[in-house]
Amino acid sequence: MKNIFIYILLIFMFLFDINVFAKDLLITNAKLVIDSETFRENMQTNTKLPIDYEANIHENISIYRTTYGRKEPIIIFFKDLDIDEIKSELDGLDYKTYDAEGKWVTSGVFAPFSYLGMADIGGEDLTNDIRSPGSLTSVSENASDNFNPSSVFIANNRRHGITHAAISLAAAGNSIFAGTGSIVNLTGKYNSIVKETAFVLVQLGQQGTLNSGGSRAASLLQLRNGLEVANCNINSGRNCENSLIRAISNINNNSALSIYESDHLIPVIRGNIPLVISVERAVDIINVIELKNSFSKLDIILLGASEAWKVADTLAENNIKVMIDPHNNLPTSFETVDSSLKNIIILDEAEVDYAITNLSALGLQGVGTLTQHAGNAVGNGLDWNKSFAAITSTPARWFNIPLINNSLVIWDGDPLNITSTPVRMFINGEEQSLTSRQTLLRDRYNPNTNSDKLHKYR
Amino acid sequence: MPSLNKGFAFTKTFIISGMLMLSACSGPIDSSKTKAFESTYSPNLETTTLITNAKIIDGTGSNTFKGSICIHQGRIKVISVYQTVNTIQNPTNINCEYTNLIDAKNKYVTPGIIDVHSHLGNYPTPSVSAHNDGNEITSPITSEVYAEHGVWPQDPGFDEALKGGVTTLHILPGSANLFGGRGVTLRNYPSRTVQGMKFPKAPYTLKMACGENPKRVYGDKGGPGSRMGNFAGYRQNWIRAQEYRKNRNSDQRNTSRNLQLETLADVLDGEILVQMHCYRADEMVQILDLAKEFDYKVTAFHHAVEAYKIGDILKENDTCAAMWADWYGFKMESYDGILENIPFVHESGACAMIHSDSGSGIQRLNQEVAKTWAHGNRAGLNIKKEDAWKWLTSNPARALGILDQTGTLEKDKRADIIIWNEDPFSTYARPEKVFLDGQLLFDKQNNIAPKSDFRLGYGAQ
Repeated sequence: MKNIFIYILLIFMFLFDINVFAKDLLITNAKLVIDSETFRENMQTNTKLPIDYEANIHENISIYRTTYGRKEPIIIFFKDLDIDEIKSELDGLDYKTYDAEGKWVTSGVFAPFSYLGMADIGGEDLTNDIRSPGSLTSVSENASDNFNPSSVFIANNRRHGITHAAISLAAAGNSIFAGTGSIVNLTGKYNSIVKETAFVLVQLGQQGTLNSGGSRAASLLQLRNGLEVANCNINSGRNCENSLIRAISNINNNSALSIYESDHLIPVIRGNIPLVISVERAVDIINVIELKNSFSKLDIILLGASEAWKVADTLAENNIKVMIDPHNNLPTSFETVDSSLKNIIILDEAEVDYAITNLSALGLQGVGTLTQHAGNAVGNGLDWNKSFAAITSTPARWFNIPLINNSLVIWDGDPLNITSTPVRMFINGEEQSLTSRQTLLRDRYNPNTNSDKLHKYR
Repeated sequence: MPSLNKGFAFTKTFIISGMLMLSACSGPIDSSKTKAFESTYSPNLETTTLITNAKIIDGTGSNTFKGSICIHQGRIKVISVYQTVNTIQNPTNINCEYTNLIDAKNKYVTPGIIDVHSHLGNYPTPSVSAHNDGNEITSPITSEVYAEHGVWPQDPGFDEALKGGVTTLHILPGSANLFGGRGVTLRNYPSRTVQGMKFPKAPYTLKMACGENPKRVYGDKGGPGSRMGNFAGYRQNWIRAQEYRKNRNSDQRNTSRNLQLETLADVLDGEILVQMHCYRADEMVQILDLAKEFDYKVTAFHHAVEAYKIGDILKENDTCAAMWADWYGFKMESYDGILENIPFVHESGACAMIHSDSGSGIQRLNQEVAKTWAHGNRAGLNIKKEDAWKWLTSNPARALGILDQTGTLEKDKRADIIIWNEDPFSTYARPEKVFLDGQLLFDKQNNIAPKSDFRLGYGAQ
């Protein structure tokens, strides 16, 4: 160890599918983006640190990732060392080496909200499992049960640097409760579910209004009652007659949560998993914040939140998180009349905890444009590092996924710039294919391909 | 009211037939005098501007050069090229009488962006049901409707598109119908009326649609219910249009004016440009054969997600393709979308272009081009940025029949100009100034921007 600086970072992992036999990996000559707050905290405690930990982008870094046959991988960062010095440090170990040639190396992109892997063709109902208007269940439905890792959209989006995604159902029928969401990785393997029970999604705003019978009052009541019933379940077991009666008498029978359904809100009431609430209008956001008066442990993440900037300070005071699309600036509805490109800038100034989504582009196939949305936040004035964190370490922290240990992406340029793309990707130490149905179509029809075969034989 | 031709009795009869109002008259019809309605577009041409020291991408495919642009009476009077990129030109050395001088040192200057496929104004925000004015979903044949009659000039989307550099845009009826109606080309000019936005003398267009939409919408409403029915519907109505055209051009027969057939006959006369919504490659090729059967031209396919499969055939037929950079997969006919569609079509020698179909996407069309350009070159092509820029301005101008007016920065063309803070092939680039006919309509630094009536009384800026 003499004359060299080695920094070891250990982060607890929740890997379900760790492959202890994976070959260790050495990436040399990287332009490393440090996007994880946890990572920075660890670095700050290291007094021998040779690099400026305030900075987020560091050139000439080599990265060694090893599992050493243990469950938690170790990542070692080497600064300003040539390959021979590093190799002598790693003498006797079995590893693959990738020369990044000065390219950008980052953790994978984490899509904080998506419908990935839950439909083949959005417009064809039989192939689309995103919502279940005919079911009698809601909160208890788990997105992971819908997830198809073989969907072509997994590989098509992996190509864009997405390594992890939150997947969610959408509210349907008479319920504002969409279901329980999960976290997946994009390996495309059958063990892609990283976290089965990761959050519950509730839809207020226009969609919730529509589902709950026609008014904001009805949708908010459905949410409050659901939480009350769950709370009662915690406090007095199944003996929650009063709350139940109130719930059923106040709202449509079909939309009242059964005891079975409300049980699945218990981890939300306890603050063990976040409650994601889609809501746009500023006053609706205030009404949501007031839920914390009755349910103090709620870990609330607002989804959409077009008018969040108008109540930014209140959001910060109450530790409410938001997932927003920095492209949204049109008054697409009367609940988003004050949509503005300033949204994320003002939330940042108020020190609200935010992640970036691409809701306006979010189809089955759309999560790959997340880096463009984050790049545009930068173009509109947000700090690059904060914007990058908002699509990587921030959602990873919210859902408790140690992203930097799980994933690495090598890019051919600034990952937030539209002309850049991943050239290599690793998830759980294993290199991922960047081939997809789209690249196969591309190769078959490339006008520069000098093949005289019929297209179907190419 | 249609004007009547000379020498015939001035008799008028009105017949109400379904949705159509037909006015009967006799003899040949002069449809050139029946524009509904005439453009009243009248920009302020007074300011004379000189832009110096700019890095210019002129939209012709020429390499980026450093130069000056002199704007006079709304037109590009002089565009001069400096000897080297390091030259700094003193305005006194440039022959231009200007009242407004802009030093564009370190900035990029390009033609204003043209979106060939937009529904701003006819599907405006806020998206309330009362604003669904973009698609006459009452019959698969509605060639009698005009998109401009459904355009709300207060759509806040026009203002945001201007901030994204869009100076001209083509508003189309939706795609539910086989024959959707006439499209209109607009100047993105803040006006109280749609007539005040109409691009003077731009040709009319006809929106037609292939594939899933018509058969889905009319499948249980009398058809078409299949792609077979779609083609039967096209052919039956082109036959009607041929007969109508023959009659209206004849002095011998009485002809009732029929708005529906008039549009189709004008297509057959080559006066209206066909803009065809079509995703699948095989379907596009059948449409090209349909056009041959009835002797008309398909100017451009829109949403041509599979155009990359038939670039050679598009080239042979001199038909353009308007495409997205990466929208695909939302319905079966869009499942085969690839990220290199536009560059592949371009490489095949066909006329390729970007389009938005979105009030959000229209604000960033330069990024959509940069994205697909980069993917194309990664796939082994070697397309210059300056050629890729044609996908944003010159090729859409060509597809709309206005390339002689705009789409490139050349002498005597309309001074539709964007000054960018940096290379527009970057996510971080933003238009700083946007000129329409030489009039500065958006100026980021000086807070000059249009604001729709709708925005008043709310808090957003």
